[in-house]
Amino acid sequence: MSFLIPAGFGLAALAGPLIVLYMLRSRRPRVEVPSIMLWEKAEIPVSSAVPWQKLRWTPLLLLQLAVLAAFVLTLARPFYRERTLLGPHTALVFDTSGSMGMAGRLETAKTQALSLVSDLSEANQVSIIEAGPNPRVLLAFGRDPALVTEAINSLEAGGGVADLSGAVRLARGLATPDRPTSVLLLTDGGSQPLPEEPVEGAEMLRYDDFGDNLAVAAWSLAPSTEGTTRAFLNLVNYGAETRTVRAEMAVNDLPAGSIELEVPAQGSARETTPIDAGPGDRLTVRLLDNADSLPLDDSATLIVGSAPEQLVSVLGEGSPFLEALVDAVPGFTNQGEGTPAIVISDGGPLPTIDRPTWLIAPEATPEGVTASQFAGNLAVTYQRPGEPILDAVDLSGLVVGEAQVVVAPRWLTLVRAGDVPLILLGEINGQRVAYFTFDITKSNLPVQVGFPILGARILSWLAGATSINASTDAAGTPIGLATPAGSLARVTMPGGEVRELVEGSAQFADTDQPGVYEVSYIDAEGAVTGGPVAVRTFVADESAGASRDIATTGAVTAAEEASVRIREWAPWVIALALALMAIEWWVGHQRPFLPRRKVVTS
Amino acid sequence: MLLPAELRGRLERLSLVTRRRVIAQWAGRHRSRHKGESLDFADYRQYVPGDDFRRIDHNLWARLGVLLVRQFEAEEELPLRVVLDVSKSMGFYRKAEIGKVLAGMIVYLGLAGGDRVQVYAVGGTSLQVGPAGRHLSRWPQLEAWLEQLPTGGGGELAPTLRKLVGEGTTRGALILVSDLLSPDFGSALDGLGIGAGGIILHVLGEEELDPGLAGDLRLADSESGGEVEVSTSEEAMRRYRAALEAFATEAAARARRAGVDYVLVPATDDAPMNVLSALSRTEALV
Repeated sequence: MSFLIPAGFGLAALAGPLIVLYMLRSRRPRVEVPSIMLWEKAEIPVSSAVPWQKLRWTPLLLLQLAVLAAFVLTLARPFYRERTLLGPHTALVFDTSGSMGMAGRLETAKTQALSLVSDLSEANQVSIIEAGPNPRVLLAFGRDPALVTEAINSLEAGGGVADLSGAVRLARGLATPDRPTSVLLLTDGGSQPLPEEPVEGAEMLRYDDFGDNLAVAAWSLAPSTEGTTRAFLNLVNYGAETRTVRAEMAVNDLPAGSIELEVPAQGSARETTPIDAGPGDRLTVRLLDNADSLPLDDSATLIVGSAPEQLVSVLGEGSPFLEALVDAVPGFTNQGEGTPAIVISDGGPLPTIDRPTWLIAPEATPEGVTASQFAGNLAVTYQRPGEPILDAVDLSGLVVGEAQVVVAPRWLTLVRAGDVPLILLGEINGQRVAYFTFDITKSNLPVQVGFPILGARILSWLAGATSINASTDAAGTPIGLATPAGSLARVTMPGGEVRELVEGSAQFADTDQPGVYEVSYIDAEGAVTGGPVAVRTFVADESAGASRDIATTGAVTAAEEASVRIREWAPWVIALALALMAIEWWVGHQRPFLPRRKVVTS
Repeated sequence: MLLPAELRGRLERLSLVTRRRVIAQWAGRHRSRHKGESLDFADYRQYVPGDDFRRIDHNLWARLGVLLVRQFEAEEELPLRVVLDVSKSMGFYRKAEIGKVLAGMIVYLGLAGGDRVQVYAVGGTSLQVGPAGRHLSRWPQLEAWLEQLPTGGGGELAPTLRKLVGEGTTRGALILVSDLLSPDFGSALDGLGIGAGGIILHVLGEEELDPGLAGDLRLADSESGGEVEVSTSEEAMRRYRAALEAFATEAAARARRAGVDYVLVPATDDAPMNVLSALSRTEALV
């Protein structure tokens, strides 16, 4: 313990007069008695002439000395040094991914941050950065605790994957030469390591609270050959006990039935159910009475496509699986005449790629892909996390008899077996291309539960925005806007909030919350025309609530002093002094340790 | 009303007795120093002219040839002087209140026994002479006088008592109701011996018998105004109790030497009954 004003201890000298007062003989109270004759005869020894008496350490004296000591201590202003995570400028990077909504992780982080910034000053400034799918700076160089508190309180967990790397880059961008910036990551760490680990100049506060969670992992349209709309529901139980839950479905917010599913612990349950819905309808599923640690993934919404069916041409050998798949996926058909919108090339020579194409083990590789050899007996070891195409599609049981070993540095690998890519996405001549490096008939893919979903999603992805009016993507994916000249875009958020965008906005990026986003355009006359409707889904991987430590190198501060905060003991000492005074008053008046004086009356 | 009816009824069945002969003016029930006309033979004396011939003992004249006259006991009333201490110190701890009851009790006993009762009140050096009576018909006057006595004054008790004992030609009993808290209480008690005996009712308050004082105090004497500093402690209380015991012992011893009975009476509601019991034990009451 150190003291800001050591000279304050000089007042301790007041203890001298206090003790002297106790040594002075007090004036005795006069009590009239019938006669003092007997008292005189008793010869009771009393010292009378000397004004001093022997000091007696009474409880009252000790208490008064303690009160004096407490006040002297207060004047000396004792303090202690407390290490603080705040440096001259600290960028607080808040992870607002879906997993941070689990068991109050984000709330805990906010509380801890509020405690940290409770005494900001010129010497300690903070910036608040929201690390969602689209990182953004909420507050830069804040020194006003009220503004910082407001920014922190505005944070909400979304449904997407946090782009921590982008957020860290954003934080570093705030650094100035005269004010070193340290980064404080308030995150659960996610499930995947950051590319730049260990993160330099940063510290991490990890939040890994976990609770049972039952999540809607997939809610999509299932292929149907019956001409009806069928919805595919996949529930995942991340808890330790089997759960039975009822899922209520709604079409355009009107009840459309419910189903009950038993979901085993650490397992999933799937159900495909017909639902009376047509193109453009909004299908919602909501788990009833499901009190778990992550409410955001307890519901999901999709919109039935409304575009006319697109023709899909299957070239090459083809297979009944592919034909059945195309026939079953709503909005696509392989029956009819005309120019196909999508080509599926199953083996055979490489076709001319002038439209979206699904290449399945072609004899020649397309541009940007190099095949060297074949590999056999492959089992899946990697599925790209957070990829909407693979949402709720479990390919861990996929076994491939033979696959091309390709190198495609500019392609996105979705699935691979060891180092051998199995499914890739890319673009050739401005057209979307899906590349399967294996013949599906030489694998067990067609008998996988997820095959129809995977096929439907690949077709939807290949079709792009032309396939349906509503784009369905992971939360955080920006919504592309085609705002007419002279018009403003207005976005209705999932919660009903309406945002008006500035003129000329090309996209709307604040889509962290899962749900339906409706865009409308308002021209100069005030006429409103409909725009795109987008569905943003909770990323299924976030439901697991994974957490990990992010390797960091520690915060960089200009000097050690900068990360030390002085905390005074004064409030506690004053409280102690007041408590002692109260006790002293009580002892002085109630005399619990002293004999009571009798009231002598005649 | 000083005495309740029940107590008065009880007192009417009791009589005061004195071990010494009395000297009085009127006939009564107590043996006198005078020779009188009772049936109890007392003594012989030489015949002098003028004596009643009927009292000459002829048998002795025949056998011895001397003229002796037979004398008989005289029975006279008991002159009873009841002295109540009303000094300022008696104003504490109900001592005056209880003292008046005790004095009234003695007065009533005397009146019921046909004795001549005179009441006095001493307040240190001052002496107030109250009414006198020989019959219970005088009780209301004496009771009223006792009841209205205020407390006050102080000083030495001995000169006043000595003066009271020595005055008059009669010789009767003196009843003193006092706390004896006077520096000359010893000589005051010694002076009582010249009378026909009596009783000291030593009244002390409960606070005096067991002081409840605590702390460092300056005690002021109610009569003299003198002060003494006292630091109460276990040792101080022990010394006080020893002084109190010595005080009572000395008072009892001096009373005994003076030929009077001594009763220490705590000033409580039980005081009248305690006094009656104590006097019965000393045969002052029959």
